[in-house]
Amino acid sequence: MSTFKFPVINPLLHNELRLKIMVALDSLESADFMYLCQITDSTRGNLSVQITTLKDAGYLEVSKTGLGRFARTVCRVTRKGSEALRTYEQGLRRLFEQRVPDSNEVIQKIG
Amino acid sequence: MSMNTIHTQLDVIANIRGEVVGRPVPTGENLFLAWGYPTAIVLFLEFVALEVWHEFWCQWLWLGIPLIGVPLMMYFLNEDYERTGRRTLDQNVILMMWVFVGFVSCLGGVTMGVANVFSMLYCTFQGVLVGMGCFLTGVILHFRPKTVCGIVGTALSFLSLFFQGDQWPWQLLIVSVVTVITLIIPGHLFRRYVKNYKNNEL
Repeated sequence: MSTFKFPVINPLLHNELRLKIMVALDSLESADFMYLCQITDSTRGNLSVQITTLKDAGYLEVSKTGLGRFARTVCRVTRKGSEALRTYEQGLRRLFEQRVPDSNEVIQKIG
Repeated sequence: MSMNTIHTQLDVIANIRGEVVGRPVPTGENLFLAWGYPTAIVLFLEFVALEVWHEFWCQWLWLGIPLIGVPLMMYFLNEDYERTGRRTLDQNVILMMWVFVGFVSCLGGVTMGVANVFSMLYCTFQGVLVGMGCFLTGVILHFRPKTVCGIVGTALSFLSLFFQGDQWPWQLLIVSVVTVITLIIPGHLFRRYVKNYKNNEL
């Protein structure tokens, strides 16, 4: 009997907005706050909180350029963040390929 | 974790990746002109000063290229970033490649100055370097005029090998023409392309 080992899913990246931020930045060299706001379709407050969370985890590098009204927040993904995203995506794909039945499906089958 | 959640998360990844990478916004249309015009003008002035006026003070004019090019480049890079809010991996590769081309060109000039020698191959080398940069930029951007201009410019820079000895100032004129072909003409074509792209997007 083959045993399927469940991949560990990173809870930090499981949040949809955080995942959007990471995917967008992983596909780019860098992006500013307003661009991320637009691409993730989120509010500034929410985006700011999630960026701080990812930064604290060491997944993002955040730098500020310019002064006063012209200040711009530029974000880029770190190597650690990039690796975490890759592992997360691989984990999801493995689960998808195995077609692990969820509890609802099991209940329906039993029922 | 349910299959629905896995589906949703994989969809999010695919959608965002498609949105970011699938629709590349062409930028940097002014950068080639910012370097092309100062370089072509300085090279032409150098040629006139050496060949027609026989003035050697004109060697100071070389400094004009970085003095005009670097601030213009910084300005246009900043403007591009402000407009699009992002820098793609392709843009970064192109930028780093041109920074390297500029660095190598400067290094060659400075080394010759320090060693107090002049190599007749320097102008050819510079023309080939810029032509190669132009060709690779065209390939990365999928912009054919730039690729073609890069090939033509690189081939043309070998013409300067025919002008040796006392005739060497003609090499400057040839590299000036190479600069027009590799930076100015494709720069204007790329500018028009970006303008059309923006109009279509609106």
